[in-house]
Amino acid sequence: MSPPTPVVRMSGVDRRFGGHQALDGVDLTVHAGERVALLGASGAGKSTLLSMLNGSLMASEGVLEVFGQVLADLSPSALRKLQCRIGTVGQRLDLIEQVRVLHNVSAGRLGAWSAPRALVSLIRSRADDEVRSALHSVGMDWALHERTERLSGGERQRVAIARLLVQQPDLILADEPVSSLDPARAAETLELLQAPARGSTLIISLHQPELARQYCTRAVGLREGRLVFDVPTAELDDARLTCLYTLQ
Amino acid sequence: MSLLLDRAPIPNHAAEGSACRLVTRRQVMARRLTGALIVIIPIAWALHRALPDGTDLVNRGGLPLLAALFGDVVHPSLEPTFLGLVAHAAGVTLAFAAVGTAGALVIGVLGGLVLSDVAWSHRPPWPVRVVRLLLRLLLVAVRSVHELVWALLFVSVLGLDPLVAILAIVLPFGAQTAQVFAEMFDGVPPGPLRALRSAGSRPTSALAYTLLPQSAPLLLSYAFYRFECAVRSTVLLGVVGIGGLGQELVVSLQSRNWEEVWTLVGAILLLSAVVDLWSTQLRTGMAVVSCTEWSGGHEQRVAGGPEEEHAARATGRSRSRWAHWTAWVVIPGLMVAWLASDVSLAGLTSPRTRQLTGRLLNDLWPPALPPGGWPALSSAVLDTLAMAVLAMAVAVAITLLMAPFATTPRRGTSADHIPLAPRVLRGLLWWLARAILLVLRSVPPTVWAVVALLVLFPGVLPGALALGLYTGGVLGRLVAEAWESVDTRARDALRHAGLRGGTATLIATVPPSTHQLLTYTLYRFEICVRETAVVGIVGAAGLGRLLAENLAVFRFPVVTALLAASFAVSAATEVIGRRLRRAMRP
Repeated sequence: MSPPTPVVRMSGVDRRFGGHQALDGVDLTVHAGERVALLGASGAGKSTLLSMLNGSLMASEGVLEVFGQVLADLSPSALRKLQCRIGTVGQRLDLIEQVRVLHNVSAGRLGAWSAPRALVSLIRSRADDEVRSALHSVGMDWALHERTERLSGGERQRVAIARLLVQQPDLILADEPVSSLDPARAAETLELLQAPARGSTLIISLHQPELARQYCTRAVGLREGRLVFDVPTAELDDARLTCLYTLQ
Repeated sequence: MSLLLDRAPIPNHAAEGSACRLVTRRQVMARRLTGALIVIIPIAWALHRALPDGTDLVNRGGLPLLAALFGDVVHPSLEPTFLGLVAHAAGVTLAFAAVGTAGALVIGVLGGLVLSDVAWSHRPPWPVRVVRLLLRLLLVAVRSVHELVWALLFVSVLGLDPLVAILAIVLPFGAQTAQVFAEMFDGVPPGPLRALRSAGSRPTSALAYTLLPQSAPLLLSYAFYRFECAVRSTVLLGVVGIGGLGQELVVSLQSRNWEEVWTLVGAILLLSAVVDLWSTQLRTGMAVVSCTEWSGGHEQRVAGGPEEEHAARATGRSRSRWAHWTAWVVIPGLMVAWLASDVSLAGLTSPRTRQLTGRLLNDLWPPALPPGGWPALSSAVLDTLAMAVLAMAVAVAITLLMAPFATTPRRGTSADHIPLAPRVLRGLLWWLARAILLVLRSVPPTVWAVVALLVLFPGVLPGALALGLYTGGVLGRLVAEAWESVDTRARDALRHAGLRGGTATLIATVPPSTHQLLTYTLYRFEICVRETAVVGIVGAAGLGRLLAENLAVFRFPVVTALLAASFAVSAATEVIGRRLRRAMRP
């Protein structure tokens, strides 16, 4: 019996921006169901790596496979289909401020919709069971028809996670989702992320090693675009962290 | 006092070395001198050109006519038949403006999407880039020709058809709107669009879901600003004879029926005031001030402290009702406008139109110099520039006189109580200044030119005066509205530090206000150059007059050369104006 196809396989991946080497020969394999924490100082290449995994950026060199498909070889429509299986949540959440919560949560299903259907969905204000259930899961049932711009920071985070729940992705990428939050709010956000991540794979960039130990099974350290360690979170010690965060 | 005592020591940058760029007093003086010369030299040259030695400027024979015109100001014609005619003409004007604006918006949205960078997630392929470049050039060329000139060209193909008025609005307004919408789309935060694209959304679905809601307030309010402009332009197009209030006004002016003239002026003022008020309410509610905000894609910042922000939000909520009701009125209103304007698109595709268009294009090419050759053409170009310079001088003078009174006064954070009498006086002056500015900008520049030509011989001066009065009305309102958004915190801080109210206002608000006045003046100058064609057409001077003369005798190759010259002058003014505005940015 052949081993299961990894969700992510990176082999000698480079990414350059002009003269700047953002990623340098990264090898990484992630299997289904894993919880991977990306650790590293600002500018280490974590966001670049996550942007490459969701197909927003292409590798300058090397091979990058997601769900067994080489991203560079995919046609735009095949890439789009693959992206429907990947959910991304960023630090800024990227919600559409001017529409109601209902529409932001429904946007999770936009991959399956045509432009006319998207327009009709914007105009009508009826929510189906899936949207209601997603909002219920994050404790925001009351906000269905609320305007997004009126929500607090914590409420907006819940809406972004509800959008992920509606999308039902097989791979979740979270780019520093808790970097600007206090410890209690950070823990709450990571707890909430467990719901859409159930049965999926989670890759999350973090600055707090203690959160990585608590919520992830594996830690990957990046420094100046290079992968410097890839260990179970139980083995994440101070020596490794010092190596990541020491200024040169 | 505590402000002075508690402040941190100021670092001595001069002593610290070269990291800080020092500006010396000499450099400041040199900059001021350059600025003054940039203003004085063109005005002196334009005056010299407008007032040649040994020629009569004032037509004394016209003075009784002017006296008769202003003598009848209190006796407007109130005959029921004529009032019915005026009401019908006002309806036609509104219908043309509404349909024309709708067409311009369709071009604007489609063109804006093609021209914007945000609609293309990556660098588009080269054929698309070539198409975009050609489209950009085409739009620049289309909007450099004034709507009145478009109307004159369309009349020679379509005759006096309502379609002429609609197309003359749709084309230049559509080209302008496409450019503005492209900038608006590019100004939308790209995060949500990127997020949806990276989650597998189709490009069109993601654009519909993010760009539309994010830019809707700006798009809607700009649409109304354009409608406001379209009403003024449709009145102006009356010169061509395609109906509406403008045509009735020209007929009454030509027959010297001053009583009717005043009734029509009253109707134009009323229509303009209603549309102005509606448009301003909508735009203020959506936090957008005026046309220069569009070119930069900026939203109005709420000046002042948190209290003012709170008040602005409350006002925004109450004014969102305007947007709500407008949304309900727009579609039925457009349907009524379409029916009322009696437009048929069949005229566009008829064999006769095809034949006449072919003949016109054939006649227009190759271009030829006007009678008198290069000297006549260059003299017309110089007259056009002189007219624009003097018109702006008149407009700035009007603005300086009116705008300080037309600015809605704002209270400072200090709870100062102004006595009743000065408050009432201030209110009266505000109404008076606003009313004068409304009159100046609502009466078309062609009508101001006809009035000026009653007492002045044709030349640069009557054209400059007419255009200056009209532009003064527009500029005065723009500047007054912009001054309302000047940050008053510095003024309040100075008041708290013990300065008198007037002195604090002078020190804290004059420098930013001057900057806004200069920016808007340069912006309007670019438009003014284009609008010299309008007053030229009724006989003032410059390229517009040559254009009207040659169109009247069907000398189309010369028309092509004159349009090319107008385009070159407009483009050069725009490039220089943009550079100056960029240089002035703080």
